[in-house]
Amino acid sequence: MSQGRVDRQPAYVLHAQPYRETSLLLDVLTREHGRIALVARGARRPRSDLRGVLLPFQPLLLAWFGKSEVRTLHTADWQGGVPQLSGLPLVCGFYLNELLIKLTARDDPHPETFGVYAEAVRGLASGGLLSSVLRRFELGLVRTLGYAPAFDVDSNGREVEPDVPYLCGPEQALQRWQGGPVPAQQQVIEGRILLAMAGGDFSELATRREARRLMRLFLGQLLGAQSLATRELLQSISALGD
Amino acid sequence: MKNPPSLDQLISALKVLPGVGPKSAQRMAFHLLQRDQAGADRLARALDRALANLTHCERCNTFSETPLCNLCAEPARNQHQLCIVEMPADLLMLEQARCYDGLYFVLMGRLSPIDGIGPKDVNLDKLMVRALDGVVEEVIIATNFTAEGEVTAHMIAELLKDRGLAVSRIARGMPVGGELEYVDSGTLAQALYERRQLG
Repeated sequence: MSQGRVDRQPAYVLHAQPYRETSLLLDVLTREHGRIALVARGARRPRSDLRGVLLPFQPLLLAWFGKSEVRTLHTADWQGGVPQLSGLPLVCGFYLNELLIKLTARDDPHPETFGVYAEAVRGLASGGLLSSVLRRFELGLVRTLGYAPAFDVDSNGREVEPDVPYLCGPEQALQRWQGGPVPAQQQVIEGRILLAMAGGDFSELATRREARRLMRLFLGQLLGAQSLATRELLQSISALGD
Repeated sequence: MKNPPSLDQLISALKVLPGVGPKSAQRMAFHLLQRDQAGADRLARALDRALANLTHCERCNTFSETPLCNLCAEPARNQHQLCIVEMPADLLMLEQARCYDGLYFVLMGRLSPIDGIGPKDVNLDKLMVRALDGVVEEVIIATNFTAEGEVTAHMIAELLKDRGLAVSRIARGMPVGGELEYVDSGTLAQALYERRQLG
């Protein structure tokens, strides 16, 4: 019975769907075991205590067992401290989850990704500036997946200078921009903005704008032909606001 | 040994039901054909009839055999209140609770971006026409308190914002008659976060 048994693992539910008559099939992000699939038996029974616990965007401690691709949830403990997301922060939360589901492989441990996600969820719940939470998450995710270059040194190993423009794009080191046409899938960014991004400082509008464009390039490369349903939803909501 | 084609067709037809895989479908098919042919006949006729007769009520979007469902056709209901629910089962529960005498709108689903269910799939266009008919004064959003239900509520609230309607969301918190000792942590935590002022 102790085969494949994991106890008290920090985790977040990314997605839940009904499974059989009374169970849930969960997609969870765990700290040390990566993204895994779990069956929560009986979680949809009317009086199941798991109903109020297995919620997305809530820090949980999960225990499970099983060796197959889909494990069985044993217990779920409430960690607390994060109010339920609602409104626009909730839509942004779905965006984080969709990115994780589409860009990370199952059973591939990424403790740093877990940390980046946990920080983003807390940021959304605490009423921080949404665009800065999203950019920090996107950059963190691309970085932990190994696709982002360093933003503080260029291709020659020299430190980035604030007043110099650099050519920046997926899967390549920064290059000083010498002028001329900008190649496709690349972008010219001022050194000081790159340094702010490297330090995780998205407090300035210019940094957020440039980071948004750049992250679109990176994520577009990683996602390939897949589109993001949550991005479309966010756009249709923000179109209403205008 | 292969099954005759009509048996295979029945089995694969039963697999359209949620939660029914090949094994269960086969078990159901054998049961219907071997043990309960009269039941199978009733099932076939009921399906036929439902498919032929049921449409969506043109006002509230729930299942109905007439263009206007019984509830929408009742003149005694409060015509100024509109309560939005996800599914017909939710409407029935609200009716059972005998707490509301206005009218309903049934979305027949919820937004679920990760499953690819967007605004177009949950009849939001039809809802807008219904809510902005000039008679409705208050809209009560009673979608579920799941992440998907909350996103749906947010989207509806955004659509109906600045249209001169009172828009509200049903409350969430401790169950009626609930004791703190026995309630789950998530419910209790949220009840505290959403506490209200007294007096």
